[in-house]
Amino acid sequence: MDYKYIEQLLERYWECQTSLEEEAILRNFFRQEDVPASLLPYRQFFNEQDEMAEEHLDKDFADKMLRLVGEDAPVHVCKARRLTFVRRLRPFYRAAGLIAILLTIGNAAHQSFTDEDEVAPQMADGIVVDSLQQITIGQPEQQSAELTTQPIDTINTLPR
Amino acid sequence: MENVSFRTTVLPLSDKLFRLALRITMNKAEAEDVVQDTLLKVWECREEWEQINNLEAFAIATCRNRALDVVKRAGRNTEKLDEMVHFSSRTPHEQMEAHEQISLINRLMDDLPEVQRTIMLLRDIEGKTYQEIAQMLDISETQVKVYLHRARTKIKGWITNI
Repeated sequence: MDYKYIEQLLERYWECQTSLEEEAILRNFFRQEDVPASLLPYRQFFNEQDEMAEEHLDKDFADKMLRLVGEDAPVHVCKARRLTFVRRLRPFYRAAGLIAILLTIGNAAHQSFTDEDEVAPQMADGIVVDSLQQITIGQPEQQSAELTTQPIDTINTLPR
Repeated sequence: MENVSFRTTVLPLSDKLFRLALRITMNKAEAEDVVQDTLLKVWECREEWEQINNLEAFAIATCRNRALDVVKRAGRNTEKLDEMVHFSSRTPHEQMEAHEQISLINRLMDDLPEVQRTIMLLRDIEGKTYQEIAQMLDISETQVKVYLHRARTKIKGWITNI
C-alpha cells in the first residue's frame, strides 16, 4: 500500500500547513491497526489526542453548578409516544370521511334543488290549465278539452 | 436575555474549560474550581452577551486567565507536570507504575511552555481554527502559527528520539 499521501500530510502537519480536515484524516489513519513501521512512532501521539478529548468532569459537577445558579429544578421531559402506521394516517382518514360527508350533503342538496326546478313547470302548467278551465266554464266539454291541449295563444278564440 | 438558560448555554462548555484548566494548573481540584469560577463569571455577565462576538472564546479566555492566576498565586510555574494530578493518593510502587502509564501526549505536552501547550490543546484536541485561537488568546493568527510550529517541532523531535 502507498503511504506517500499520509507521509506528505504528516510532514505538512509538523509544519502547521494542514487544515483541520487534513488533521482529522491523519487521526483517522492512525486509528487503524495496520500502520507501517515508518509511521508507527507517531501512532500513539495521535491516538492519545482522541483520549485527551474525552477527559471530562464528573456529573456531580453539573448538578452542583445548576444548584449554584438555581436551575436545579427537574426538567419536564416530554416523552415521545410510538405511533403505528395506521394511527399516523388517522388524520387523513378523518379528513377523507369529512369530505365524503360534505360531498354527500352537497349532492343531496343539489338533487333536491334540481327536482324542484323540474316540478315547477308542471305546476305552472297545472295552474294555467286550472285557470283556463275556470274561464271556459259553460263551454262544451269537447271544446274545453281541445282548449287544454292547444297552445296558450288560442285563448284569443275564447268568447268574451 | 431573559429566557437564556445556564443549562443549555454555559454548562455545555464545562468539559472544554476543564481540559484547558487542567493543562494549565496540572491539578484536577484546582481545575474544577477554575471552571466553576469561570462558568459563574460568564453567567453573571449574561446581560453583556449581546456585545460578545463569541461566547465560547470569551469563556476560554476567562478560564485561561483564572487558571494562570491560580498557578501564579500558588507560586508554581506552569512548565512541568505536577504529579499531584496522577499520583496524589498512591503508594510509591503504584506511582512508579502510573508514571509508566502516563500518556505520551501528556508527558510531551506538559513539557511545553504554557502558551504552546494551550494552543496545541485548542488546535489538536478542541479542533479550533487559527482565527478562533487568536481571538481566544488575544494574539495574531501569525503568532498562533509560530507558537504551534514551535510546539509541533519539539514534539516531533521528542517522538523521533524515543
